[in-house]
Amino acid sequence: MKKIQSAITLGLMCVLLSFAIVWQINTINAASEIVGVERTENKLKDQVLEWKDKYDALYASLEKTDKELEKAREEITKDDSSAKAMEEELKKNNILLGLTEVSGSGIIVSLNDNQSISTDMLGGYDSISRYLIHDEDLRIVVNELKNAGAEAISINNQRIVNSTTITCDGNVVLINGEKVGAPFEIKAIGFPELMTGALMRPGGYIDILNNDGIETNVESKDSITIPKYSGILDAKTIKSSK
Amino acid sequence: MPKKGMMVVVQKGKITMTITIGLVCFVLVYIMFIQFRVIEKTDIAEIEDLREAELTEKLADWKTKCEELEKQIKEKEEKIDEYKKSAETNEEASELLEKELKQSRMLLGVTKVTGDGIIITLEDNEEHEITATLLIELINELKLAGADAISINGERVVNVTDIVEITSGDIIMNSGKNINSPFEIKVIGDQTYLDSALNVKNSGFADKYSKIGYKIKIEKVKDLEIPKYNGKMELKYIK
Repeated sequence: MKKIQSAITLGLMCVLLSFAIVWQINTINAASEIVGVERTENKLKDQVLEWKDKYDALYASLEKTDKELEKAREEITKDDSSAKAMEEELKKNNILLGLTEVSGSGIIVSLNDNQSISTDMLGGYDSISRYLIHDEDLRIVVNELKNAGAEAISINNQRIVNSTTITCDGNVVLINGEKVGAPFEIKAIGFPELMTGALMRPGGYIDILNNDGIETNVESKDSITIPKYSGILDAKTIKSSK
Repeated sequence: MPKKGMMVVVQKGKITMTITIGLVCFVLVYIMFIQFRVIEKTDIAEIEDLREAELTEKLADWKTKCEELEKQIKEKEEKIDEYKKSAETNEEASELLEKELKQSRMLLGVTKVTGDGIIITLEDNEEHEITATLLIELINELKLAGADAISINGERVVNVTDIVEITSGDIIMNSGKNINSPFEIKVIGDQTYLDSALNVKNSGFADKYSKIGYKIKIEKVKDLEIPKYNGKMELKYIK
């Protein structure tokens, strides 16, 4: 009886052992795969960096071209008063369209998700969602700022232009098609007291955000700089009519 | 005595057995450890795969952006050349300027525009009132679907447009123009694209809100006309 028992024990051990060995072989395979993945990944990283550098260089050259174009317009209109007026309107339009970097007095609104809440602190009907900043919150703040006369607005350096959309994409927000995430820094050029008053009034939107523990801060500045829109403004489906 | 000898043999066998089993157990435990590492590394491999996909996406992103910039630079360089060429004849120069100015006015929304598009009708009912926030959400979605011009009840939507609720059901836009239900939203853009974007199941504006009782009508219209923005666009604080 004892012999049979030990034979069974040993047999079982052997089976387990072979099983484990097969697994071990798999480890080796997986390990070599990881090395392969890492290699392609490093290559990709290098390429991404290369293209980013190329983008920066192109952006610098675009700015140079912009200045040259402006100079060419000025040059041609300097002796012609009606052309001069057109050139000035064009300049103003480009500012209004968000195609130039601008600076002036304004405010900086900082918003961050509620940092003191975690999923295990939530009650049955509560959801983490209300403690986070959503695309809708940003749209409402932008609308309030426009209502208070903001002349230029950016969120995390994305300039708000006529074609701008603010949408949700999983855990991040897409502005002008670019991924941005909390904390959000909203810059607005305009009359600081008016914009601050609109946001901070009792029952105003900052109040509403504070109720959910969203971290907010509104700061007035004598001078802030807002970057230009880096995309292309296009309108292929419309025509001007008289 | 033979009994004692048997005992020794049996004991020896037991010791060998114990050592064998002990060794096997040891090896087994060691292999189990390796096994744990397999599982860990497999997880890592999955994450690395994800990263690779993300990097590929990023790379494509930068390439598109570079192409866009190259296009912009080329367009602007052509304009510079045209200006330089027309330096002798003033007439041509102002023609060029006028062309640029026209385009910028159209983009700004200060000219009346025409094109094919859609008309959306939104109406309050007993259960649901159209709010300013809802209109802002709709405009956002229309822009995402490539709308080139939008108006609500004859008021053009431009970059400085604000839409706020004074009291419930009393909405103003463009700093003081009253707009009330029923809302007629005119949109110029790709008709098919606009229509399908609004009707995406569960997330498109029309599908999402008509399911919970809002009255929404969408109509495709040819040669739609959208009025110009009539308000002021001032630059008082931008230096």
